[in-house]
Amino acid sequence: MEYGNAAIVFVVVSVVLAVLGFAFAGLYWLNKTVDESAP
Amino acid sequence: MHLIPQSWAHWHILLSVFPSVGLVFALGFYLTGLVADNDLMKRSCLVVLAVLGVLAIPTYLSGDRTMAALSNGAIISADLMASHFVWGIVALAALAITGVAAVVALWCARGLGHLSQPALRLVLALALVVLALMMVAGELGWQVNHHELRLDAAAQRTPQAWSHVHMILNHFPTVGFAFALGFYVIGLVSNDVVTQRTGLVVFVLCAVLGVPTYVTGAASMWALTDPGVAGISKPVIDAHRDMALLTLFGLAFTGVAAWIELWRFRHLGRFSRPSLYLILGFAIITLAVMAETGHQGGQINHPEIRIASDALPTDPKAGVTRAIELLINQVIWFVPWQTVHFFGFSLIFGTALVVSLRVLGFWKSVSFAAVHRLLPLGVFGVVMNVFSGMLIMLADSSRYLNAPTFAPKIALIVIGAAAVLYFSLSERLWKVSGGEDAPAGAKWVAALVLISWTGVIMGGRLISYI
Repeated sequence: MEYGNAAIVFVVVSVVLAVLGFAFAGLYWLNKTVDESAP
Repeated sequence: MHLIPQSWAHWHILLSVFPSVGLVFALGFYLTGLVADNDLMKRSCLVVLAVLGVLAIPTYLSGDRTMAALSNGAIISADLMASHFVWGIVALAALAITGVAAVVALWCARGLGHLSQPALRLVLALALVVLALMMVAGELGWQVNHHELRLDAAAQRTPQAWSHVHMILNHFPTVGFAFALGFYVIGLVSNDVVTQRTGLVVFVLCAVLGVPTYVTGAASMWALTDPGVAGISKPVIDAHRDMALLTLFGLAFTGVAAWIELWRFRHLGRFSRPSLYLILGFAIITLAVMAETGHQGGQINHPEIRIASDALPTDPKAGVTRAIELLINQVIWFVPWQTVHFFGFSLIFGTALVVSLRVLGFWKSVSFAAVHRLLPLGVFGVVMNVFSGMLIMLADSSRYLNAPTFAPKIALIVIGAAAVLYFSLSERLWKVSGGEDAPAGAKWVAALVLISWTGVIMGGRLISYI
């Protein structure tokens, strides 16, 4: 199946935002747990 | 999967990995116990070595019966089998002696009230000798049944070296994981932090080793099917590949969760009990998946262990991995994951650069503990790249795997990841405060980290052009 450039750009942006969003949300949570529990 | 092996050959294949590959991990835990001067780990390892010594008996008996059963096989070399038998007996006898020495060390400790240092050193020396003997016996054992390793190299599109490395390497994450789980449970039950930490570290190491194991497995598939090797079925390999994919996910989940808990321990000085039990749950599920993966892998090239009730797959178009291969070959799915791969490298290299440069003497006013906070950024990059890299490889695995820079890239990933693990764990580095110089050894590791990850990026980019 042939895809247009707009479809490719949409999927690239969606996948990258989803992956990076998940990674940075995890990173934020991880640092928060350390900041809040630090002795 | 039938949990109880139905033939002597199956028993021998299953048992023999514990005194050989298992011994590597038992020695690793033992050395850690000696270095950390942890009594629980030293005693646990002595018990493990004693059990391995006892395992020498069923390993010998199953091997002896297997020889009798296989000696008429046309593809079995009698000379190789005889060599394996001799080296195997010597290695197993030495293992039994080591087991007895471990029992004696434990027995003497009852009278003395502590473990005797000379006895501990004697056990260590004996175990190292056994390991060397096991390496020879094990290599000859693999050669006995794997006639494909002796095929004409000129006729191979994908070198059989990949199959050789895979059949050795795949036992390390599997057996190592079982040992790590055992010690981890001992650590949880005894509430011993050193044993818990060591178990977590081995979970991480097994996850790192999962990457080259998966990659060498994919290459072995091509080595065994293009051109085909007599007796090897592609659908059976595909079923194994699907389970291997699940194993890779299981290893990644357990390894990352274990690393996060090690990282948090550095900053908090304690483990979170719920997190430790969550990792235990991941590890148990992963071990179960890995056991089935190993069993299916054994079915590929060991007709002697198959039984009548084994329903081997026959559909050449079945399988999740095959479906992913077809999907990722479309531009609309390939390009997004390739983009994620580049972002992953940015995170890995950026983090590795900042942390390594601090260790090498840049920004000396910043303490190491401060840059240690950045490490999860790099680890998340590794996770992104293992996943996206696996997808990219599946798009055209034969071409990628046969590219001259691919194997060095994978080797450098393992070296780079292990070196970063050093940053996560080192006591001496953790204590380097603002204005203080890092130890010389750490500087060498920092240089290794930078060289490794630079090599990984260069190796990856060159795949398309040479």
